[in-house]
Amino acid sequence: MSDKPSDLVQGTLDMLILKTLALEPTHGYGISVRIEQMSKGVFRLNAGSLFLAIQRLERDGLIEGEWKPTENNRRAKYYALTHKGRKRLDNETREWGRQVAAIARILEAS
Amino acid sequence: MSLLRNVARGLRSLFRKERVDRELDEEMGAYLEMAAAEKMKDGLSHKEALRAVRLEQGTLEVTKEIVRSGGWEFVVDTLWRDLLFAFRLLRKNPGSTAAVVVALALGMGLNTTVFSFVNALLLRPPRGVKAPEQLREVWIHNPRSSGAEAYLPMTYPDYFYYRDHNQSFEGMLAYDFDPHLVIWNKSDEGQTVLGQLVSGNFFSLLGVNAVLGRTISAEDDQTANPQPVVVLGYAFWRRYFGSDSTIVGKTLTLNGANYGVIGVAPAGFTGLLVGFEPDFWAPTAMVEQITRDKGRLSNWRVHWLIAIGRLKTEASTSGARAEASVLEHQIDMDHPDLKRNLDATVFPATLIPAPLRVYVSAFTALLMAAFGFVLLIACANVASFLLARSTRRTREMAVRAALGAGRGRVIQQMLVESTLLSSLAGLLGLILAYWTAPLLLALKPASLPITLRLPIDWRVLVFTVIVSLICGVVFGLTPALRSASVSVVANLKDETQPAGFRQSRLRSLLMTGEIATCTVLLICGTLCVRSLRNASSINPGFNTQHVIAATLDPGSLGYSDTQVRTFYEQLSEHVRTLPGVTATSFTDHLPLGPAREHTILDPMQPKSNKNDAIPIDILRVAPDYFQTMGISLLRGRDFISSEGAEGSAVTIINEALAKRLWKNQDPVGQRMTFWAGPGKKSSTEVIGVVPTGKYRTLGEAPVPVVYLPQLRARRTLVVRTSGDPTTLLDSIRREIHSVDPNIAPTDLETMQQYMSLPLFPARTTGLLLGVSGFLALALTTIGLFGVISYIVSQRTHEIGVRVALGAQRTDVLNLIIRHGLLLTVIGLVIGLGIAFGAGHLLSSLLYGIAPTDPATFIAVAIVLCAVVFLACYIPARRAISVDPLVALRYE
Repeated sequence: MSDKPSDLVQGTLDMLILKTLALEPTHGYGISVRIEQMSKGVFRLNAGSLFLAIQRLERDGLIEGEWKPTENNRRAKYYALTHKGRKRLDNETREWGRQVAAIARILEAS
Repeated sequence: MSLLRNVARGLRSLFRKERVDRELDEEMGAYLEMAAAEKMKDGLSHKEALRAVRLEQGTLEVTKEIVRSGGWEFVVDTLWRDLLFAFRLLRKNPGSTAAVVVALALGMGLNTTVFSFVNALLLRPPRGVKAPEQLREVWIHNPRSSGAEAYLPMTYPDYFYYRDHNQSFEGMLAYDFDPHLVIWNKSDEGQTVLGQLVSGNFFSLLGVNAVLGRTISAEDDQTANPQPVVVLGYAFWRRYFGSDSTIVGKTLTLNGANYGVIGVAPAGFTGLLVGFEPDFWAPTAMVEQITRDKGRLSNWRVHWLIAIGRLKTEASTSGARAEASVLEHQIDMDHPDLKRNLDATVFPATLIPAPLRVYVSAFTALLMAAFGFVLLIACANVASFLLARSTRRTREMAVRAALGAGRGRVIQQMLVESTLLSSLAGLLGLILAYWTAPLLLALKPASLPITLRLPIDWRVLVFTVIVSLICGVVFGLTPALRSASVSVVANLKDETQPAGFRQSRLRSLLMTGEIATCTVLLICGTLCVRSLRNASSINPGFNTQHVIAATLDPGSLGYSDTQVRTFYEQLSEHVRTLPGVTATSFTDHLPLGPAREHTILDPMQPKSNKNDAIPIDILRVAPDYFQTMGISLLRGRDFISSEGAEGSAVTIINEALAKRLWKNQDPVGQRMTFWAGPGKKSSTEVIGVVPTGKYRTLGEAPVPVVYLPQLRARRTLVVRTSGDPTTLLDSIRREIHSVDPNIAPTDLETMQQYMSLPLFPARTTGLLLGVSGFLALALTTIGLFGVISYIVSQRTHEIGVRVALGAQRTDVLNLIIRHGLLLTVIGLVIGLGIAFGAGHLLSSLLYGIAPTDPATFIAVAIVLCAVVFLACYIPARRAISVDPLVALRYE
């Protein structure tokens, strides 16, 4: 069971993408690879939901896309965090930490 | 910011779709390549790697579709595509589309027409007035009475008391409830014009400024020293003064007195009463001069002013209401001699005075209900049309579902189609309303000094849009839900699907409802039309064919009694010599009009009878009145001219009164006493008896009436003609002018024209409900025909089998007709039941016919059955004339 990729907690995908891009701007595939690597294979993104989220974040002005050549001479859209996106990431990270701590406390209580 | 960006991005995707698509393609392509390159590191070939990625991620197209559907523009885009598709579909069947749209448009158009009526009467605020929503009407209320008669306008002293003692209003204005028909004495002729008396703050409180000169001010309207000034209505100024810009300062002679023109009201401002466009406004304090009614300004008993306050921003209507009640109580305390014991209340101000709104609302509600039902029938038709079509389209829906269209998308598609239909119908309905609304106004009697406009304004537009959308969703939802729940596999496997049991049951339900509604409307319509025929043939008790009436009031010019008498004597002589005139006379007022004079008989006289006080109507007439009006004298004699003098104690009574007072005796020569005023009794001798006529309304029970020979200055000239009376109207007007150029008749019309007033309610309901009944029948027939035709076409195969197996043609015919008739009978029974129960709502509008008239019920049932039979028979004939071989091969 634990080997299979698991579903993301609702609403966390945006935060993960923002976090990924906070380290370094990259393209869609790069995001999905990095999330998979960092989560040690627990989260594996579907292209549909990934690009849907990217489109949403871009429209909200949290990330910005720019067409650039890739290593193997194709064109890809590289996304970078905007100032607003960085603020949102900070907020969400803090909020997430609070919630996780709270949930942990509840679960440990029994 | 981000919303703006979102919108901008969405618009970019919508209008630069190819470019955005290409970018998405490229981005996804890059993703795919990179993922494949990763796989190739594991030693797969390029092709194998791509395949592996696709297996993992699904096809690129689906992914792209998912990404695309994320933005709001996706919804717009699909709606647009659905709309285009719906257009194509409707264009493919122009015949049935047109039929559906026209049927719906008829229903919607009539509803829009009625609504434009409601809008003009009840919803539109007065034009040209600042912040009309703050205006409130204050009415004195008699808690012991009910209906409109429980509400009284204010007396002049009342108005002053309320105006000066209230805390809720920024200011309080007043205007005359009754329009004043005033004679405008031009150099050589008199013309009647409409005037309204208004308080000095009327214009300033309404925020209305003169386009020329100034408006009436508080200084003009001082009780002690009123100024004879007028403000002209814009339309009047344009029409009769050619927009003369030097009009201010000139003088108008009105009812024989001079008034200075101080200004002209702005275009579009016509005061606060619906249908009433004053030619001029004058100060209320001038009332005694204009009406020649001395003492009106100090009179606590004559209620004649509508008071309107502008609510302070911090005040509430309920607060103002409570305050008005307290103020009224204080008046009662301060003036115990009045014995008023009244209350007061406050309403929002609209163009119809609050106490009358109930009647207007009730009338328009009846029309709305009738035409609402017509619309419902039209909707049921469209719903069954769409249901039939959705059956034909099950395969299309199955294909859509198989290709990944979700339930929501299919429902959206179907609803777009139905709302497109209803919107087209709404548009057509608006055009229809534009043409039919003036027809509704044409029903109004010409003699009413009312000018009503039924504009198609934004409220009417909003109404039509809402009705269109509701109709679209209501009749589209069932077929849409049906389409969305199509079973994919069964429909793709099978070529044809027999019409499901559930579906035909739904259609049958619709048809039954339609027939029931149609029955109700048809019965109401027939009742009203028959009632109109009854009303037109009711004998009002006088000749309506060869009589002309003209109302005159030399008293308003300030003439003395002698001058008045001389005028009428001369006029009578002049008119009598006109060729074609056989008799002339005068009356105080005509029966069946708005004017009434009534009193009660003194119960002690005559002694011979019961002690109850009999209420009686009084009509004052000159000699020859009965002859002129074609009323025969049953007993006794007519008045003679010397009896017209004050103090002569003779009377002619009608049969109704004669029978109540002296059942078996000759009334002629008997004496009776009635109250002639507060504390004043009048004892008279009966000299004649005439037949009972109609005096107040056409439908009334016999009313006891006494005729008195004493007339006042205001009289109605009645003229009997031997031929067509219309040819004499002009010569009578000329004679009046030649006798006294200053006098103009306020009403000059034939009796036939006059009768349009008492017949107005019967005519309106008769025409409108008749039309709605006829439309209901037509729509139901079309709908039934369509559904039966469709069922027959669906069963062609089955019929072919039956005939091939040896079924007789009559058997097949029976089979189909039985289905239609069964629906009809059920619908009919329900409809008759409702009509029977709801009939009493109409009873006040019906003349000489019971709301449960059996003949009407039976006739409607027979007509409906016959029509349904035809609607079933024609398609059934077609079905059995099909060659069984063709039918069996048909697929």
